[in-house]
Amino acid sequence: MQKGEIHLLLGGSGTGKSTLLRMIGGLQRPDSGEVRVAGNLLSEKSERELGEIRKQIGMLFQNGALLDSMTVLENVGLPLREHLRKPWSEIATQVARVLKSVGLDGVEGLLPRELSGGMLRRVAFARAIVMEPEILLCDEPFSGLDPVNVSRIEDLLVELNRSLGLTIVVTSHHMASSLRMAHQMILLRRGTCIAGSPETLASSDDPEVTDFLGEDGRSYLARLHELRAGGGA
Amino acid sequence: MNALIGWIAELGAQTLAQVEGLGRVARFGGHLVAAIPRRPTRFGFFVRALFDAGVLSVALICLSGFTVGMVLGLQLYTTLTRFGAEEGLGAVVGLSLVRELGPVLTGLLVTGRAGSAITAEIGAMKSTEQLDGLRMMAIDPVHFVALPRALALSIAMPLLNGLFIVFAIAGAYGVGVWRQGLDGGVYLSGLEDAVLFGDDVGQSLLKSLIFGLLLGLISTYKGHSCDPDAAGVARATTSTVVTASVCILLADYVITALWGV
Repeated sequence: MQKGEIHLLLGGSGTGKSTLLRMIGGLQRPDSGEVRVAGNLLSEKSERELGEIRKQIGMLFQNGALLDSMTVLENVGLPLREHLRKPWSEIATQVARVLKSVGLDGVEGLLPRELSGGMLRRVAFARAIVMEPEILLCDEPFSGLDPVNVSRIEDLLVELNRSLGLTIVVTSHHMASSLRMAHQMILLRRGTCIAGSPETLASSDDPEVTDFLGEDGRSYLARLHELRAGGGA
Repeated sequence: MNALIGWIAELGAQTLAQVEGLGRVARFGGHLVAAIPRRPTRFGFFVRALFDAGVLSVALICLSGFTVGMVLGLQLYTTLTRFGAEEGLGAVVGLSLVRELGPVLTGLLVTGRAGSAITAEIGAMKSTEQLDGLRMMAIDPVHFVALPRALALSIAMPLLNGLFIVFAIAGAYGVGVWRQGLDGGVYLSGLEDAVLFGDDVGQSLLKSLIFGLLLGLISTYKGHSCDPDAAGVARATTSTVVTASVCILLADYVITALWGV
């Protein structure tokens, strides 16, 4: 995976998309093979060394993984407090700014159980980006979100990638959004994968690729390819 | 012959698994101890955990202590009367509660109430990926989640033990003096003469401190190592109660045999 690109992990249920994300984050070790992040071979690192590497990585978990005994402010501000030792007044300002960027306002005092599914996911997203990581791992970032918020998160991911050169790895079944922003796509199969740009995969004759993308996905990619060739969006 | 070899192999595999499990507990314990001096010290989390483990157990401990004391007073008074030694009620109640029943019963009650709750809470955090979320923020879950709870149990246990003993002595006093007609002064002077502060009370508190440390280690370890699903959390919670109860009873014998406490 190249630095500064948005990578889309595709594959049916049980093909290991989330497991691969966890391996990139150092939460799981591979049975065989190796995972390198920014030149670091993760399998050789101790938990403490992995902690240092993880400071450069933000991760959005599928169910948010917010600490349920802490408020939104404490959840999002926790890494700032732990690693930068900032005072809470400064943290509150920064948290409010990040929450606003994901479309949330005035929820700092709420507990995770008081949030809707979509709000919870956006708070988790805010926590993943609050430390301005170099790599962002997103496990199904669009599931459970309404179209407005899907578009908002998608725009935010693209903006983070363009402005900060953030490397983003996304697993998603939300084909339209995923295809629109992906630079590279990786289709996982049992033990193997097919990787390439969206255009490459759209023109693939491999039946598994065409089945997975479906008619909508392929026609969408074909239209995207035409637009790009014509200098469009 | 093959069946015998298979049985021996199975026995060996199970023994190895048990030894491996003990090794994991020891490593987790080492991790907990190593986390104590690490900064930041999370005093607020510790106070919250102390409230959950200690203050929320007070009603149970007081009620149980009073009831145990009443039963003890009734049984011992009846038994001592057979030998014409009912004046010794205060001494026997005091010694049995301070040296043995107080620490052990408090340990078992706190295991059922607070130890199981801690395992369930940490297990639920694991199954909802909250512990992995902490690791991804480069925050050690053992330092952040387990340590405050384990320390809270270790501090709360001797305090609750003291409370249990006081209420049990009061319960036995109520039955012995008000129901059976024993003189209150005789009960209290017997108690005062028999129970020594340094030898009996101090060592009782030491015993319950050790039980608290054991329960803190077991309950946090079981939560951290459980399977991340509802059934796994339920199994871990049950396992905490069973393992900690057995460990407390075994440790009670070992401490009594070694130190005569």
